[in-house]
Amino acid sequence: MACYRVTVLRGFEFRRKDTPVHRLDPRAKAVYVACATAVTLMFATPVPPLIVLLTSVALVAVARVLREWGSTMRGVAFLSAFVFAVNYLMAPEAKLNYAVSMTLRLVALTSVFSVFFLTTSPEDFALALLKLGVPYEYTLVFTMALRFVPTLARDLRTIIDAQRSRGLELERGGLLQRVKRFLPILIPLIVYEIKRSYMIAEALEARAFGAVETRTFFYELRMRSSDWAACALSLAALGVVVACYLTGTLPSWLLWEVPG
Amino acid sequence: MAAAVEVEDLYFYYTMGEYVLRGVTFTVELGESVAIMGSNGAGKTTLVKHLNGLLKPVRGVVRVLGMDTREHSVAELARHVGVVFQNPDHQLFAETVEEEVRFALENFGFPEDEIEERVEWALAEFGLERYRKASPFSLSEGEKKRLAIASVVVYEPDVLVLDEPTVGQDAIQRERIAEMLRGFMKRGRTVIVVSHDVEFVAELFDRVIVMSRGRVVADGSARSVLTDLAVLSEARLELPQVAECARRLGDLGVPRDLVRLEELEEHLLRVVGV
Amino acid sequence: MSLMRERLATIDSVSFWYAGSERPALRNVTLRVHRGDFILITGPSGCGKSTLCRLLNGLIPHFFRGRLEGEVVVMGYDVRETPTHVLARHVGMVFQNPENQLFLSSVEKEIVFGLENLGLPRGEIRRRLEEVIELFDLSEIRDRPPYELSGGQQQRVAIAAVVAMGPEILVLDEPTAHLDPASSKEVIDLVLKLNRELGTTVILVEHRLELVAPHASRVVVMSGGAIAIEGPPREVLPSPAAKGAGVNLPKVVRLYSSLRSRGLALPLVPLTPEELADAVRLARVGVARGSRS
Repeated sequence: MACYRVTVLRGFEFRRKDTPVHRLDPRAKAVYVACATAVTLMFATPVPPLIVLLTSVALVAVARVLREWGSTMRGVAFLSAFVFAVNYLMAPEAKLNYAVSMTLRLVALTSVFSVFFLTTSPEDFALALLKLGVPYEYTLVFTMALRFVPTLARDLRTIIDAQRSRGLELERGGLLQRVKRFLPILIPLIVYEIKRSYMIAEALEARAFGAVETRTFFYELRMRSSDWAACALSLAALGVVVACYLTGTLPSWLLWEVPG
Repeated sequence: MAAAVEVEDLYFYYTMGEYVLRGVTFTVELGESVAIMGSNGAGKTTLVKHLNGLLKPVRGVVRVLGMDTREHSVAELARHVGVVFQNPDHQLFAETVEEEVRFALENFGFPEDEIEERVEWALAEFGLERYRKASPFSLSEGEKKRLAIASVVVYEPDVLVLDEPTVGQDAIQRERIAEMLRGFMKRGRTVIVVSHDVEFVAELFDRVIVMSRGRVVADGSARSVLTDLAVLSEARLELPQVAECARRLGDLGVPRDLVRLEELEEHLLRVVGV
Repeated sequence: MSLMRERLATIDSVSFWYAGSERPALRNVTLRVHRGDFILITGPSGCGKSTLCRLLNGLIPHFFRGRLEGEVVVMGYDVRETPTHVLARHVGMVFQNPENQLFLSSVEKEIVFGLENLGLPRGEIRRRLEEVIELFDLSEIRDRPPYELSGGQQQRVAIAAVVAMGPEILVLDEPTAHLDPASSKEVIDLVLKLNRELGTTVILVEHRLELVAPHASRVVVMSGGAIAIEGPPREVLPSPAAKGAGVNLPKVVRLYSSLRSRGLALPLVPLTPEELADAVRLARVGVARGSRS
């Protein structure tokens, strides 16, 4: 039993690259996500989410993360079919339109969030959280948790290997048996990682963690003109859409519904 | 009679294209004891995982007692090849030492009365009787290591493989492990030890295989392999102290291919004329 | 001689029991650390070497609770009264497992971490960062995440991160335990360089004596929580106390003792194969005078 990385999650894993999208401040990207989400959820017709989806695809292309994004979108396809079916059955009227629109919403939102996570490093994300007022200890926990994910995955593999080498069968047996068989894997893992956390704590102490009230933050997120511009664009687009919506001046093709 | 382990032109990668093993070939006969050496990253642990089927070759064949590993499950192969991994903490899980030792026997379907007999024997053999009902987590590092080895030896696999048995062990523990291995070898067991500890290997093994970057770069007597500067340098291993001394005293008639302490001692006594 | 050098730390008649333990982890231990020392601490598992190390930066008694008897004064601070984060400025500690000391996403961030914790101004952090990267030859890997590095590189980064904080004393608890021979040698060479070139006082706990013994100014052998014997390596290693404690003696030392018991007294206690070869040649020529070195 190898531990395959779930392909759907690949579209949310950060990839270190140097593109305009990667360089944007996470807060600017968050603004984009918020605006895109708002627009997507405002309408129950297929065209708006489709447009939002297209903007996200454009960003994905600029950020050169098409492949990873593709993995997630393929993964979401399955869920989409399910969403489509459920919405088709549940819709009170205009079934096809409703189902298509809801499905496109899901796809668009997945894509938009994927853009954020593919182009924002966890450290930058933590720094953004810090700027938003989250206490340092919490962002450190977040950063460290991410850092140790591959380590934990490796430990898990090692333990599984060690126990399989003693004849532990993980493939066979009924559900209850299989669950029981995971104890020889879970217990060493939990004990090992608890021990590890003590060692990490010692190392933190040795690096004067908590020494001063006003800790220096060497790395800092600073909004540059490009970030402000990106924010402005997103907000402007949202603004226009909302204004048109409220004044009833939205173009008809935007509100086009799927017939049937 | 099939060989204990036959590795033929073994290639393996974890991620496509990045080969970790490149054409490894060697045979270990039943009753032989071999040390596989190399620095971290040479592919030693990856190789070990092929011996009980945890990994299957990408190219080439691995046969254990005549069985092609690709055609058998890990459990089937593990029954014949007992692997003790480096860190006992990666396997201890039971409530008592006794249960820990029983684990493999239960997995392999041994009858209850035999299990009890074997557990008795293993606890005695490894000096763990007084910890029988104790939690494995309460043992010292050395005791945990003994427990880890005991829990594999208890089911008497045809081939015993130890991955870096001396890492993190102090002198006393190392000596105990060496003693234990000597005992196994005397009883005609097939023993394969993977290690980067040159001093440990030099004193115990007659045959040494050296790996570097996924390839076998030497396979021969400890004497010739562990004194071959080119091989050691390639594999980023150190010359055993005994060999280093011998090398420096070559002009006084001390043979260059010495790796054992007692042998050097005899030569030095002779050379100084005592 | 040691009276001339500044006393940096004193552990005086210290005994320590971990909370909930009846057996003392340290029994009446006394150790004096002077500026520039290179102290090698060794002994079997459970002898108290790690416990001793942790006295120096206050992990004992602050992180590891228990009963502490005796005096521990480090850089003028009474360890009992001083929190670890104050002591951490003066005593840098490097642990066995590099994996557990590197918790951030790049080498640079690791080095900066401790300095941020100390609240140093940005300019100072930048200066020290560049200095350390230069000193430890880390420029090529400065942006890499720790799990992509080899064990040896990781340990090098861990040491760099600690040294950046500018401690006078560097304590290393079995830093090569998880490393292969080549990486171990690199790490030890690095530590030696710090001691020799920067004057950093080093306290190193090690099993692999062959690598370190030739360079140590003092060897401390511990057993059962107490110091079995302490002194220059040539005195300590061939001693019955060291042997009795189950220390992993370098083969050349074992050879020395073995030859001695068989009637061949080499003129000096060799700590390296080179010294052994020289000693054998001297013995041959009959220059052996049984003098202590």
